Amino acid sequence: MRLNSPTCGLQQPHLARTALELLIFYLQAKMSRPVQARRLEGIDKNIWVEFVNLAATYSKVNLGQGFPDFPAPDFLTEALTRALGGGNHMLHQYTRAFGHPPLVKVLAQFFEKLLGRDLDPMTNVMVTVGAYQALFCCFQALVDEGDEVIIIEPFFDCYEPMVKMAGGTPVFVPLRPNPPKDGKLMSSADWQLDPAELASKFSERTKAIVLNSPNNPLGKVFSREELGLIAELCVKHDVLCISDEVYEWLVYDGKQHIRIASLQGMWDRTVIIGSAGKTFSATGWKVGWAVGPDRLLQHLRTVHQNSVYHCATIAQEAVAQGFQRELMLYGKPESYFVQLPKELQQKRDWLVQSLDGVGMKPIIPEGTYFLVADISPFKSDVPDVPNSDEPYDSRFAKWMVKNKGLAAIPLSAFYSEAHKNNYTNFIRFCFAKEEATLKAASDILQKWKQKKTSS
Amino acid sequence: MFLASRNFCCCGFKLRTDLLSRSIKHSTSATMPFRHKNTRRIEGLDSNVWVEFTKVAADPSIVNLGQGLPDISPPSYVKEELAKVAAVDRLNQYTRGFGHPSLVKALSQVYEKVCGRKIDPLTDILVTVGAYGSLFSTIQALIEEGDEVIIIEPFYDCYEPMVKMAGAKPVFIPLRCKNNGNSASSADWVLDPAELANKFNSKTKAIILNTPHNPIGKVFTLEELQVIADLCIKHDTLCISDEVYEWLVYKGNKHIKIATLPGMWERTVTIGSAGKTYSVTGWKLGWSIGPEYLIKHLQVVHQNTLYTCPTPLQEALAQAFWVDYKRMDDPDCYFYSLSRELESKRDRMAQLLKEAGLKPVIPDGGYFMIVDVSTLNVDLSDVDEKQPYDYKFVKWMIASKKLSAIPLSAFCGLETKKQFEKYIRFCFIKKDSTLDAAEVILKNWNKQTG
Repeated sequence: MRLNSPTCGLQQPHLARTALELLIFYLQAKMSRPVQARRLEGIDKNIWVEFVNLAATYSKVNLGQGFPDFPAPDFLTEALTRALGGGNHMLHQYTRAFGHPPLVKVLAQFFEKLLGRDLDPMTNVMVTVGAYQALFCCFQALVDEGDEVIIIEPFFDCYEPMVKMAGGTPVFVPLRPNPPKDGKLMSSADWQLDPAELASKFSERTKAIVLNSPNNPLGKVFSREELGLIAELCVKHDVLCISDEVYEWLVYDGKQHIRIASLQGMWDRTVIIGSAGKTFSATGWKVGWAVGPDRLLQHLRTVHQNSVYHCATIAQEAVAQGFQRELMLYGKPESYFVQLPKELQQKRDWLVQSLDGVGMKPIIPEGTYFLVADISPFKSDVPDVPNSDEPYDSRFAKWMVKNKGLAAIPLSAFYSEAHKNNYTNFIRFCFAKEEATLKAASDILQKWKQKKTSS
Repeated sequence: MFLASRNFCCCGFKLRTDLLSRSIKHSTSATMPFRHKNTRRIEGLDSNVWVEFTKVAADPSIVNLGQGLPDISPPSYVKEELAKVAAVDRLNQYTRGFGHPSLVKALSQVYEKVCGRKIDPLTDILVTVGAYGSLFSTIQALIEEGDEVIIIEPFYDCYEPMVKMAGAKPVFIPLRCKNNGNSASSADWVLDPAELANKFNSKTKAIILNTPHNPIGKVFTLEELQVIADLCIKHDTLCISDEVYEWLVYKGNKHIKIATLPGMWERTVTIGSAGKTYSVTGWKLGWSIGPEYLIKHLQVVHQNTLYTCPTPLQEALAQAFWVDYKRMDDPDCYFYSLSRELESKRDRMAQLLKEAGLKPVIPDGGYFMIVDVSTLNVDLSDVDEKQPYDYKFVKWMIASKKLSAIPLSAFCGLETKKQFEKYIRFCFIKKDSTLDAAEVILKNWNKQTG
């Protein structure tokens, strides 16, 4: 919607007819074009804007958006306080654009250990404004119009609009549930890719596959075999891997997080993405990173220097100190990377019990701080509306937050438009919450169940 | 025999594809030609003047008047607010994507006062990662292939690559010196109205305005802004107004927001910066302010690029804004006191440069000063010819005088580089000891040359 109406040529009737027509044509063409760029087409909706608002308005217990309600660890906030009190006021000024030197150095050291290869902090590591911006840089740097990008469903919702904004075509492949025969609760491990189905998604237009392990929302931790399958296809088809590993430290039951970049033939074609927000329970700091070969990172750097250029210095300084502490304590019981998953596993188990106790069937996550539960026994409270545009689980989640004060996110939020109605009964809960919060959630669920049983 | 060509697969010969895929499987990726190049949108955008010059000037023995960052301390209450915030748990987690509530509220109050109009904190404001992030969000939201964007030269260097990355065509128009090259003031540099009018056509989507101007320090007058506004209205063009130095205007000058001119609010996105307002460039917080129907598209870009900005920094900034909002009618307000502090640094810098035989262009605003170095007649013809004179001069100056600056041709389109290659840019938001060190170098300049 542009503003002016064409006026110029119409006041001069002696103008040649074609010239006048041309003028009107140009002005109308400008007028009828929307003011916004085409790259925004279809990416304006965002589930979080709506659900965060609902949670803020109605929720008494918020297990929706993924952030901890317990504090960030003392050593991290103390690092920030120290940096502020240290008298070096240059920490309030620009640092190196591609990453504050102490941070990229310690990240390189850390990942050298984890990947078993030498890393150059200047060329193999880039710091970004959260893992979110690292993802953005990957797509903008590497995905052109006409490229296909494979996305495994369910997926962290930003992958699809980011691929579209880069002019790419998302190609979806689902994790399919294979429930255990013995009637036990499902595990996220029971949701699997069909190898033949996955292979069929690769074409000569496939530029990249996005891998998210541990997976949000299911909590799946891809096994070595599963990663090997993906790796083989990447190598076979010369496809890149954008590996979102923000929950890399949050794995339970003694499972191991395996980095696909460490598999044969993968380092040269993978960008690994990480997050201080998830690693150190400080989502509001918005410090993330990309690790990978220079020949890929150089293009991320180009995008970065033409979009945000620098990330906040002081947050990077404090995160660097956090990592330095963890490097020293690596593998030891006092390491935050050992303690946090231990604590979260307990919270997971508590929530699993609470949900199971009221008849909601949780899918036990192997990792992350999310779990997805089947809410079927509670469906009678929210009648189905045939021909509704909105997926059932979304209506259910909205009803739940408004009427029960319990916020969660519908699983359909993590599916492409075409597949939003594939699973109608699942919602995602975040359990990175204080005991009191989880207990309050349990109370709401109990009361709800009692109400149902007695009515 | 090893076939690596991807085109081969596209021909659809299944047998060869099988052979190909088997041979790919058994080869190492190092022997395959790597097909994963950069995307078209970033073609040619990889080089950057800052990457080149910040490296060179990182040597601590060099007096760095190059990159625009203060080495003065931010005001203590600003630092204290951040320290206070560090202790509040919930401020370490995600806040509202389009801007932390207390910050957008504070911004709306400050700017309502400045603009004399109601500004809705939720719909008319977007908080971004620095003004840089605002420029990016604005350009990505509103500019695309087929569009032209007018850029006034010299320009803050990111405008051109950002416009190109959006697929659009930058159209340059230079500021020209009124007095046949004898410029004593930034006010001498003006646009030719007829030349400017010629740059507008049906494809012109936007013009980027930067006032106060980096690098020259020009503060566009009401008349000059009116000329631009008239053209924007006539051609239904948007205005992207980069006003990061809005508070840094010196005596006799007034910063005017083009968005306050009749017919301009509806078509203008005004960009501001915490880094420049509070001398905290490392906080990387900026904002875009404008009508909802434009800002909503910037918000869409933001939610698909980085989603939220850091919470603790936004909260601290909000608190700092409240302190100064309350004293906006008071000369002690930081917005005015910083300007006074910088004016004396400006005057000192100008004096030192003149004494060294250089010709500074006194800026009416901002914290940069451009200097005509041709008067020194430094012969650099034996140096690598491919670079413009000012690049060579700055490198020579860094090496031989231990003083750094930024070459002005970094801020020009290709065709105008010749016009500006006798100028270099100094940054004067520096503490006294830095300026003292610069003084020593400049005073001794003539002793070593000649």
